[in-house]
Amino acid sequence: MYKLLLLVSVASCAAMLGACGSSSQSAMVATSTAHGTLAVDPPFRIASLDAGTFQAELAGTATGAQLLQITGAPNCGVDFYYIKFWTVGGAGEATESSGALMVPTGAASGCSGARPMVLYAHGTNPDKTLNIADVTNTSNSEGVLIAAMFAAQGYIVVAPNYAGYDISTLGYHPFLNAEQQSGEMIDILTAARTALPKTFSSATSDGGKLFITGYSEGGHVAMATQRALEASGAVITGAAPLSGPYAMEAFGDAIFFGNVNLGSTVFAPLIGTSYQKAYGNIYSTPADLYSATYVNGIETLLPSSTPIDTIFSTGLLPLTALFDSTTPVVTVPGNAVLSAELTGLLSVPGSANYPLPPTAQTPLFAAGFGSPFLINNSYRVTYALDAASNPDGAVPIPSAGVPLAATVPVQPLRQALNKNDLRNGDWAPNAPTLLCGGDQDPTVFFSVNTGTMAAFWNPLVQAGLITVLDVSGTPAGPFAAIQTGFQQSQAAQLAFYESPAGGELSPAAAQLLLVQGYHGAVAPFCAAAARAFFSQL
Amino acid sequence: MTTHNVRTRIALLAATVVFCAAPASAGDDPNNSARLGLYSVFYHVKADDLSGPFVPAGANIDANNVETAYLAYVRTIIPHWDVELALGYPPLQKTVGKGPATLGSVPYNGQVIATARWIAPTVLLEYVFFDEGSKWRPYIGAGVNYTTFYDRNSTAAGDAASGGPTRISLTPSVGWAATAGLNYHIAKNWHAYASYSFSKVTTDLKAETAGVIRTTHIDFAPQALVVSVGYSF
Repeated sequence: MYKLLLLVSVASCAAMLGACGSSSQSAMVATSTAHGTLAVDPPFRIASLDAGTFQAELAGTATGAQLLQITGAPNCGVDFYYIKFWTVGGAGEATESSGALMVPTGAASGCSGARPMVLYAHGTNPDKTLNIADVTNTSNSEGVLIAAMFAAQGYIVVAPNYAGYDISTLGYHPFLNAEQQSGEMIDILTAARTALPKTFSSATSDGGKLFITGYSEGGHVAMATQRALEASGAVITGAAPLSGPYAMEAFGDAIFFGNVNLGSTVFAPLIGTSYQKAYGNIYSTPADLYSATYVNGIETLLPSSTPIDTIFSTGLLPLTALFDSTTPVVTVPGNAVLSAELTGLLSVPGSANYPLPPTAQTPLFAAGFGSPFLINNSYRVTYALDAASNPDGAVPIPSAGVPLAATVPVQPLRQALNKNDLRNGDWAPNAPTLLCGGDQDPTVFFSVNTGTMAAFWNPLVQAGLITVLDVSGTPAGPFAAIQTGFQQSQAAQLAFYESPAGGELSPAAAQLLLVQGYHGAVAPFCAAAARAFFSQL
Repeated sequence: MTTHNVRTRIALLAATVVFCAAPASAGDDPNNSARLGLYSVFYHVKADDLSGPFVPAGANIDANNVETAYLAYVRTIIPHWDVELALGYPPLQKTVGKGPATLGSVPYNGQVIATARWIAPTVLLEYVFFDEGSKWRPYIGAGVNYTTFYDRNSTAAGDAASGGPTRISLTPSVGWAATAGLNYHIAKNWHAYASYSFSKVTTDLKAETAGVIRTTHIDFAPQALVVSVGYSF
C-alpha cells in the first residue's frame, strides 16, 4: 500500500521538477557594447505584410491612397524588423539605439534573392517614442513612406530611429551632428547586415548595391554618411540627400539674419543641446542662449514623449517666435557703417533687407519674431558679429558655390555649424548623387542648402555626377512627371483648402496653409525621384 | 515567498497529511484501490486579449481538448468517505491562436502557436453513496487541484506570429476541484468508474520574443470525463 503511495508521490515530484525543465529559447542578447553590434539577435519582426495586404492597408486610408498614387502598387511583401544595436552618442558615449530593417518578400520577381539596400535617415521628429520600424503605428508616416517607396519595390531598407529616441538611454539627440549621425548610420548598417541572414526573410539577401538617402535632417545625415563611407573606402552605388540642411553655416547665418525658417523653435533646442553635449562651449549656462521664459528644462525638452502641440500650448516653447521682436542695436567699434548694416539685418523682416530665397516666404519670416521669444538678442548679436568678421560667403549676400569661410568662426555656435557644414573638408561625392528638394521650402531653404552644395561641388566632380531636382521647377527632363505630379498635388491641395470641405479659406489663408505644409509635401515626391534615380544605377 | 508559493505548499502539505495520517478502517474490506483509465479534458477557455507591444486588438488564445491516461490512488478513510489522489499522464497540450485570421499576413486564428505538457495532481475528498456491497455506488467529491506546466515551446507558427523565437512561461495553478461519478462493482476487488469533474485552473502566460514581452491571464475552466477500472487491495 505505502509503496504505491510512494510511487505516486515520486511521480508528482518528478513532474514538478520537470516544470523547471527546458522551454523554447528567445533571441540572444549581445554582451558586447561595441558600436555596430547587433544587440538582440535575431531581431524582432514587428509585422509581415504580403503585397496584397500592404496595398489594401494603404488603400484603406486617404493619406495611404494618396501615397499609393506616388509609390505605385506594392510589388513585394515587406517584413518589418526592429533592430537594436550599439552606437555612440555625440560625446562618444556608448548607447543602445534602434531602427528598422525592412525586407522585401514574396514570390514576385525582384522580391527575394540578392537585393539592393537603401540606408535611409528620417527627418526631424519631436516624438521621442518614434519607432520607424513600427508600421502598426498610424503616426509613423515616414516609416510607411519608405516601406511603400522602397521595400515594397524590392529594396532592403535600413533606417535608424537615432540615438536619443525610442529605447536609447542617451538623454539627448545628437541633432545634425555629422560625425555622430553618420557613425550611427554605419553602425545600423553593420548590425542589419549581421541580422538579415537570421531573420524569417533570409531568402532575401544583401546584393551588394548600397544606396543612401534621407529627408530633411535625414538629408544632412545621408550626405554625411556618404562622405564618411566614401572616406573609409566603401563603395556606394548612389545617394540621394533630400531637402537637407547641408550648408549649415550658411543656413545658420540666413536664420540669424532674420530668415527664420518654419519649425525653428523646435530645431533650436535640439541643435543647441546637441552641440553643447558634443563640444561643451555653446553656452556657459543655457540662459546665455535661451530667454528666461523658456530656459527651464530646455536641455531635456526635445525629443519628448509629450506631444509637440502640448509643448506649445503649455508654454514650454514658443510656436514661431525664435527671436525678440525688439531689434538689438549692434555696435562695431569704429565702424558705424557696419554697425548700421548689422542692426538693419537683425531687424524684423518685411523690407527689402532680405534678399535670400525663398523671397515668397518673407512675410512668414516675420512670424519668427515676437515676445516672449526663445533666443536672446545678446546671443544673436555675438553670432552676427562673428558672421560679419568671418563671413560664410553664401549669406547674407548670396554667392552660389562659395566654399566655407577661409577664416574659422570664433563664435561657438557658428564654429559648431561650420564643423557640421558639409562643405567642410572640401569633400565632393564619388558616387552619382541626386539632390532633390523644393525651392519654395520654408523649413529648409533650397537655395542656401541644395543650391550652395550643388554649385560648390560643380567644379570638383565630373560632369553628370550630380543631379539637382527642384520639384517646384518647370517640369523637364527625366523627372518631369514627378515635378508635374508635385505641382498638381499642390494645386489640388490649394483648391481643397478653398472648398467647403476644406473650410472655404480665403486665397491668402489657403496659400499660408499650403506653405506651412510644403516641406512635408515634398518628401514623397523626392523619395520617388530617389527611387527612379537609384533604379538606373 | 509569494502568496502563490504559500498556497501551493499548503495544498501539497494537505495532500500528504491526508494520505499519511488517514487511519485504516476496521475489518477486512480493502481500504485502498488503484485506478487506471482514460481522461478526456474539455476546456472552456476564457483569456484576456494578449497585451504588450505590437499586438493587434483582439488577439487571444484557446486550448485544444486533450485525452490522456488516468492514474489514481484512492483510500477509504471511514465508511462512505474516500480520499483520491488523481493524476493524468502529462499530455501534449496545444494552444491555438484565436481572434484575427491573420496578424498582418501571418496566419493566426486556429493555428497551433504553442505546446506544453502539464501535470495536475488533484486531491479529492469523496462521499460514496449506498452500502459497500451495492453494485452501483454514486459518489461526489471536492478538493484541490495543482497544475504546473513544463516543456513549453512556441511552434514555428507561434514564432512567426510572435515575431521571432519565443520563450513561454506559465505560472502554476492551485484551485478547487469537484467531481461526481459512479462506481460499478464488476467482480471481487474490481470496479469500473465513470466520473465528470470540474476544476479551477488559471495561469499567467508570458511570451518573450527578442526582449518584447506579451502577457495574458488564462482561465482554462477544464472539465474532465474519466472512465477507469480499479483494483482494491
